[in-house]
Amino acid sequence: MIQAEHVSFSYSDQGPTVQDVSFHIEKGDFVAILGANGAGKTTTVRLIDGLIRPTQGKVLIHGADTATSPVSERARRVGFLFQNPDRQICKNTVREEILFGLKTVRGDESEEALNARCEEVLKDFGFSGDEEPFSLSRGQRQRVALASILAVEPEVLILDEPTTGLDYLECCHIMDRIRRMNREQQVTVVMVCHDMEVVLDYAQRALVMAGGKLLADGPVREIFRDAELMEKASILPPQMIGLSLRLGEGFEQADTPDAMAEAVLARRGEGGKRHEN
Amino acid sequence: MKTNLFQYVPGNSVIHRMNPVTKILLTIVICVAAFLSGNLFYLAGLLVVDLLIGIIAGVAGKTWTIFKGLLKIAIFLFVLQILLVRNGTPVLWIITDEGLLTAARVVIRLVVVCMPLALVLAVTRVTDLTNSLVQVLHVPYQYAFTLSTAIRFVPQFLEEMAGIMEAQTARGVAFDKARGLKKFSMILPLCAPLLISSVRRTDQTAAAAEVRGFRLRTRTSGYKKYPFTAVDLGAVLFCALLLAGAILLK
Ligand SMILES: Nc1ncnc2c1ncn2[C@@H]1O[C@H](COP(=O)(O)OP(=O)(O)OP(=O)(O)O)[C@@H](O)[C@H]1O
Ligand SMILES: [Mg+2]
Repeated sequence: MIQAEHVSFSYSDQGPTVQDVSFHIEKGDFVAILGANGAGKTTTVRLIDGLIRPTQGKVLIHGADTATSPVSERARRVGFLFQNPDRQICKNTVREEILFGLKTVRGDESEEALNARCEEVLKDFGFSGDEEPFSLSRGQRQRVALASILAVEPEVLILDEPTTGLDYLECCHIMDRIRRMNREQQVTVVMVCHDMEVVLDYAQRALVMAGGKLLADGPVREIFRDAELMEKASILPPQMIGLSLRLGEGFEQADTPDAMAEAVLARRGEGGKRHEN
Repeated sequence: MKTNLFQYVPGNSVIHRMNPVTKILLTIVICVAAFLSGNLFYLAGLLVVDLLIGIIAGVAGKTWTIFKGLLKIAIFLFVLQILLVRNGTPVLWIITDEGLLTAARVVIRLVVVCMPLALVLAVTRVTDLTNSLVQVLHVPYQYAFTLSTAIRFVPQFLEEMAGIMEAQTARGVAFDKARGLKKFSMILPLCAPLLISSVRRTDQTAAAAEVRGFRLRTRTSGYKKYPFTAVDLGAVLFCALLLAGAILLK
């Protein structure tokens, strides 16, 4: 569905920001892009949507080269949440903001249908609709931006740090919502995220970047267990993974609190038996 | 990227080492000279001086970009002038010799005056510019600070604009398909976020300055000194030469 073939990109002549990156993302994948600040994550997702064009290589979405078709025509199918929500918000109320996004890409549908969809999203996100976006807090504006992207119901969601600046509960709400779209409607999700706990909980697959290069591509759990790779990419894996790695044998699968509890209880059971003998 | 056009380029050339005040003086003298003299050869000479300054400062590429940008405006103005000036003897169709002369003067002056203004920012750190204004010319710090903030604001503003257009394109607003006036009419409604983010930034900048003791700052607060050296003396002599030339070759 999304194919990046040997993509390189540089902002200036002082060396590439993204260097020879290749990956394939299938429909329904939930992919996280990981890496330190300045690793080239934002640049990579901008390349995916064709907001910037690769200096070398190409990106295909549904087999079509993103460099040859206008970004605005892709908006119906590809939703993009920017790192800075303020660049996206341009209307005076939350309702107008959400309707604006709907009308630009789903203008062919009836007014009632769009209004209904808008109200549905407002309710889902807990907005009354009359709030003024710019008098909301940063986290709330982030939610407005996300709401207006999700309202459109795109096939692909590209999220640049969707949870940054949100409180824990709100972070869970939003991620649950995204996971539901991913599971029920097979929405493909590509997410840049600095919160490794969120990545572990929600993503299936991770792309690890450092210095503009793709270091690794694989299942999230395997990636986090690769201590050398984590070190190279300056990533601190979730604490549970660290713990399970330290405990070693018998705890390999224990990367959630529940699994850890199970493993510990199982061990205690064995130990108890040994005692009796 | 275009937004970097006015940004500082680090270097250690003669021009970089000049006292910022001298650079401002040189800029002003070039502007004054350009308007004192109407001699086309002299004006062309000033243009060469502009370009040479850029080359000596090691920002030849940037100088050339600025020059090319100005040239576009210059050509437009030139055509306008030769079509509008009616006195003098006709040379070709409705074009008169007087028209050609006036147009050439206006256009060269425009380029000559604008180039050093842009170059000063390319070879001087904005902080050096304001600090030297405060220390050497005793400009109140508040005013100097306002100036530097305004200068820094321009590229930020352009970058913000580009960012907003990108975000809206990703949402389906067809910026990438529109051209000219159409595009402009699409940008206008987006000015709300731009204005708001600008005002917010102004507020934040003010608050940040306040917390860091903005009001406590006096003329002697800066630790970096801006002495005048032999280079500056040379530059001042050069300025005198330029002015003398302008008066002689009226
Ligand atoms: N518009 C731009 N012009 C020039 N250089 C840029 C631009 N945007 C980013 N860069 C440079 O490219 C590099 C990678 O930036 P990018 O935004 O992709 O990093 P990132 O991985 O998203 O980092 P973060 O986690 O901080 O968001 C950085 O070193 C940055 O300085
Ligand atoms: Mg980023």
